[in-house]
Amino acid sequence: MKVPLAWHILAHEKGRTALALLGIFVAVLLVFVELGFFLAVPRGGLLLYDNLRFDLMLASNQYEYQAQPGALPRRDIDRLREAPEVASVAPLTFAYAKWQAGDGIWPDIYVIGLPEGMPIFTKDAVNRALGALARPDTILVDKQTRAMFGPLRAGRQITLNGHRETIGGVYRLGTGFMGLGVALIGEKNFARLFPRRGLAFANLGLIRLKPGIEPARAAADLEKRLGGAAHIFTRDALAAHEVAYWTTRTSVGIIFGSGLIIAIVVGIMILYQTLASQISRQLPQFATLKAIGYTNRTLSVTVLAMALLLLLAAFVPAFLAAAGLYSVIREQTLLPVAMTEARLIAVFAASLAMAAVSALLSVAGLRRAAPADVF
Amino acid sequence: MFSDRAPVFRRARLLAGGAVPLAWYNLTAKKPRLLRSSAGIGFAVLLMLMQLGFEAAFFNSSLAVIHALDADLVIESVHKYSFAAQQPFAPDLVAKAGAVPGVASASPLYADWYDSFWKNPFDGKAFLVRTFAFDPDRPVLRFPGVAAQAHKLTAADSVLIDRRARPFLGMDREPAASEINGRQVRVVGNFALGPDFQSDGTVITSAQTFRKLLPGTGAEAGIVTLAPGADRNAVITRLKTALPPDLAVLTKGQLLDREEKFQAKVSSAGPIFAMGTIVGFVVGMLISYQVIYADLSEQLPQYATLKAMGYRRFYLVGTVLEQAGLSALAGWVPAFVLSLGLYRLIAAVALIPLAMSARIAVVSLALTLGMCLVSAGLAVRRVLAADPAEVF
Repeated sequence: MKVPLAWHILAHEKGRTALALLGIFVAVLLVFVELGFFLAVPRGGLLLYDNLRFDLMLASNQYEYQAQPGALPRRDIDRLREAPEVASVAPLTFAYAKWQAGDGIWPDIYVIGLPEGMPIFTKDAVNRALGALARPDTILVDKQTRAMFGPLRAGRQITLNGHRETIGGVYRLGTGFMGLGVALIGEKNFARLFPRRGLAFANLGLIRLKPGIEPARAAADLEKRLGGAAHIFTRDALAAHEVAYWTTRTSVGIIFGSGLIIAIVVGIMILYQTLASQISRQLPQFATLKAIGYTNRTLSVTVLAMALLLLLAAFVPAFLAAAGLYSVIREQTLLPVAMTEARLIAVFAASLAMAAVSALLSVAGLRRAAPADVF
Repeated sequence: MFSDRAPVFRRARLLAGGAVPLAWYNLTAKKPRLLRSSAGIGFAVLLMLMQLGFEAAFFNSSLAVIHALDADLVIESVHKYSFAAQQPFAPDLVAKAGAVPGVASASPLYADWYDSFWKNPFDGKAFLVRTFAFDPDRPVLRFPGVAAQAHKLTAADSVLIDRRARPFLGMDREPAASEINGRQVRVVGNFALGPDFQSDGTVITSAQTFRKLLPGTGAEAGIVTLAPGADRNAVITRLKTALPPDLAVLTKGQLLDREEKFQAKVSSAGPIFAMGTIVGFVVGMLISYQVIYADLSEQLPQYATLKAMGYRRFYLVGTVLEQAGLSALAGWVPAFVLSLGLYRLIAAVALIPLAMSARIAVVSLALTLGMCLVSAGLAVRRVLAADPAEVF
C-alpha cells in the first residue's frame, strides 16, 4: 500500500518528478565522478606494479613510493636468488633522462632499466616487444608518451643525456604518474646511459616464487635472510602502501575526499527539496489520509518509499552516464578511472544513505498535516 | 492560505507609497521555505566554490616559486619547458650578464629537484626535497622570512627549511640539525612556502654549501634586475647577444605564462576542476528551478490578481527575476562565508594555497546569479500563462 501510494504521488505530476529525477541523477553522477578520481589517483600510482608479474617485491628500507624507491645493492638481489623458495629475481632500475631533441625543449623521460630476456610484464604483447632491447643503445617508448617528445616511430634516432639511442618500437602500458613519458631499456644499456649509476645498485627486485610457496610466509623468511637490510612486500601490502601514500601524503585524498562529501550533501539537498515540496503541496491529502486513520508512521514510510523510488529511477541512468564519463576522463586525463563492482556498490550504498537522510529531514513537514488545520 | 497572499496584497496596498520590495516579501514570506531553498542553492554554490578554489590553489602552488623571484628578467636554458625541469648552466655566464649595460644586478639561483635527500631527523628516513641556493648577500627568493635570515647562511653547511613542508619531513618541528645527501647541515632558520604538486618540502642554502651537497650542479637561473630607467627590451637584446644561444632571456611575466600553460596542458587539474564547477552549476540550476517554480505555483493566484489589476508582463517578469536574484544571494552569501572557513581548514590540513580571491568571489557570484536567472526565465512562463479567471 505504501509503495503504490508513493508511486501515485510521484506519477501525479510528471513534470516535477522528472525534474527531481534529473537533479538526483546529476548528484549521483557527481558522487561517481568524485569517487572515481579519489580512487583513480592511487590506481595511477600503481600502474606499473599492476602490469608486472611478481609474487613479492624487494625494496630498500628507504622505499617511499614507486617514484622514490631508494637504492638496493645488487648483492642483496644475488643473495635472494640463492634462497630455495625463490624461482627468479628481476632487478628494476629507474632514472630520469633529458630527451634532447634539437634546439627546442628537452622534456624529461622516465627510464626503466630491466634485465634482458625476462618476460616481467603481464601483457604478452609487451613481453614480445622486449626482444628489441637486446640491441645496443635501443629503447622502447610507451605509446602514452606526450606529443612534446615528437614522433615515436621505430628507427628514429634520439639523444638521451648526450647518448645516441634508437627507438626500437612502442608498447602500451600507460605513463601513470611516472612523468611525461616512459621508456624501457635493457640493463646493460642502462648502465651505459647512466654511467654514474652503473650496475651496483638497483631500485626494486621482482621476486617470483616456486610453485606452491605461500607469499606472506616467504616474505617474512626472505626478509630475515637479508638480516633486515631491505624490505619485502607481498602484492597486497605493496598496493596498500601505495594507496596510503597517495591518499595521505599528497593533496589527492583531501581534494577529492571533500568533493565526495559535498557531492553527497548536494544529493541530500536535492532529494530533500523534492520531498519537502511534495509534502507541502500534498499537505491536505496527507491530512485526509491521517483523518481516515493512517498513522504518522505509515505516512513516513510512504515518504521514504518516494525517496527510494526517485533514487532507483535516477541511479540507473546515472550509472550508465558515469560509465561513459569515465571513458572520457580516461582519455582526457590518462588516469585509470574504471567502473568496478565495488564502486557500483559503494555509490549505491551512499545513494541509499542519501535517500534515507533526506526522507528523515522532510518527514518533519508531515507532522504539520493536522486534519483540522488544513481545511 | 491567506498568509500566502499577504505579501502581494501588502504590495498592492502600498503601491501608492512608492517602490516596495515585492520580490523581497515573496522570498521571506515563509521562513522555513527560505531556509530550505538557500540551503539547496547554497550547497550547489559551495560545490562550485570548492572546485574553483582547488583549481586556483593548484596553479598558485605551481607558480609560487616564480612569483617569489626577485627579478625583472630571468636567464635560463632554452631547453626548459617548466621551471622545475632542471637544466643547469655554467654560473660564470651569469657574471657575464651582470656586465651588460642596463643591468643593475645579475645573480645566480641554484636549484635541484631530483637529487636532494633530506633526512627527517626525528625518524631517520630520507626524503626527496627541492633545494634552492644563492649568494647570501643577494637572496633572490622573496619567500617570507628569507631576506631577513639570508645572512645566517654565510656559515658553512647551514640551511633554512620550510616550516610549511609536509609533516613527514619533520621540518615543521624546527629541528636544529639534520643531514642532506649524507652531509651534516645546521638548521639556522625557517620560512613559509609549502609543498607544490611536485615537491613535498624545500631547503634553502648558500651557493657554497649547495656545491658541497650537489657537486657539479651549475646555476639554474640568472636573476637579473634592471638599472633605473633602463629600457627593458634593449637590455633583453643586449643580453641575448652577450650570452650563448642555448640561454634564453625571459621576463617574469613570460615565465609565469609558460608555467601556467604547461601545468594546464600536462596536468589534468584544469578539466577536472572545471567539470566539478559545471556539475555544481547544473545542480544549482535544477535546485533553483525547483525552488522558484514551487514559489511561483503557490503565489499563482496572487500573480493572477496582479494581472487582473492591470500590471504589465514586464512588471511581473521583473518581479520574478528579482526574486530569483535574491534567492541567488540568499544561497551565495552563506556558501561564501562557509567556504572561507573550509578554505582555511583544508589549506591547513592539505598544505595547499587555498585562499579566497576576488576572481573566485566574482566568478562564483556570476555563476550563481546566472543559474538562478536562467531557472527563473524558464519558470516564469507559468506566471505569464496565469489566467485570472481560472485561478480562483
